[in-house]
Amino acid sequence: MGAFDFLDEIRRMNARQIYYQFLNFGMIVSSALMIWKGLMVVTGSESPIVVVLSGSMEPAFHRGDLLLLTNHREEPIRVGEIVVFKIEGRDIPIVHRVLKVHEKDDGTVRFLTKGDNNSVDDRGLYAKGQLWLEKKDVVGRAKAFLPYAGIVTILMNDYPKFKYAILAFLGIFVLTHRE
Amino acid sequence: MAPSRDSALDEKPIKIDKWDSGALKNALDDGAKKVFVDIFRFKESHMLMNGRLFLCTIAIGFAMFALVWDYLYPFPQSRNVLLCCVIAYFILMGVLTVYLTYIEKGIFLVALEQDRAKMEPDNKWTLQSSLRKYDDTYHLTLTFTDGRTQEERSSSISRCVANFFDENGTFCFDLFQPIIEKLRQDLSSEKKKQ
Repeated sequence: MGAFDFLDEIRRMNARQIYYQFLNFGMIVSSALMIWKGLMVVTGSESPIVVVLSGSMEPAFHRGDLLLLTNHREEPIRVGEIVVFKIEGRDIPIVHRVLKVHEKDDGTVRFLTKGDNNSVDDRGLYAKGQLWLEKKDVVGRAKAFLPYAGIVTILMNDYPKFKYAILAFLGIFVLTHRE
Repeated sequence: MAPSRDSALDEKPIKIDKWDSGALKNALDDGAKKVFVDIFRFKESHMLMNGRLFLCTIAIGFAMFALVWDYLYPFPQSRNVLLCCVIAYFILMGVLTVYLTYIEKGIFLVALEQDRAKMEPDNKWTLQSSLRKYDDTYHLTLTFTDGRTQEERSSSISRCVANFFDENGTFCFDLFQPIIEKLRQDLSSEKKKQ
């Protein structure tokens, strides 16, 4: 068979079938998206699943572990919990353990974190002049983890060309194959 | 009308990967469709396909809306809208599954046979097929609905796909066409007997 024989099948489709091919592709993407958004609503976290990217929490978490987060407003933050937080000026959230908590009567919370495998607390990582984290910085709290399940994500982040190649291949495969 | 009819028959032969059951089924379905639409000159009714396209489009619309809304109003704010979109999307996916299993049921062509004088309502021919994965038997059911009496008759055949494809995977339309024509003939003649 010639290299472009797969295009024959597209040539034989009518407009409705071609539109359906795109819808089919769209539905695969939408299903993934809606499962993600559904998880967001259920867990209350803007990013309910994260992959550990550094070794700063060893031996609890290793690079590539998958974490499931929840972020229910009413649950208080306690010392010893593992939180995922964002810091202004950094793109990637950090997964570290809570070391100190200060709660005030008016409900405001300030806390300090540290990586299990780091020798000092995280003040050096925070934004300039920031001494404490607040509730608004929290993305979620680790509730469950799957060891090494996220290693593919790390590979894809390290080799972006690999990621685009896989995406392009899958996209073309779905668009050119009927049903 | 003659030239376009010839061109429909003179097309380059369809060649497929004969080990791909999806491609086999599509080629056979297209062949049967060609007999009814290009040779018998029946009018294709797109109602079923339109219904499916409509459901899919609405579902994707909900997903896109959720995406845009979440971008405009970041997460904790957009929670209720997201909840509605997610529920609507999964309900629509359920409806789509029901539609495909109980309404479309593998029907790939609804052809309308118009009365020449346009006096009587159209007769309806429904073609339904199935080809299970790892199975070489193609099942085709032809259902005729009389436009005037609404009476239904159907007839089916099951043939090994190897009857219609050569070793290289080229579809032999000339072998397939007589079978479809005979199937239709049988149903039509039954009509006359009564």
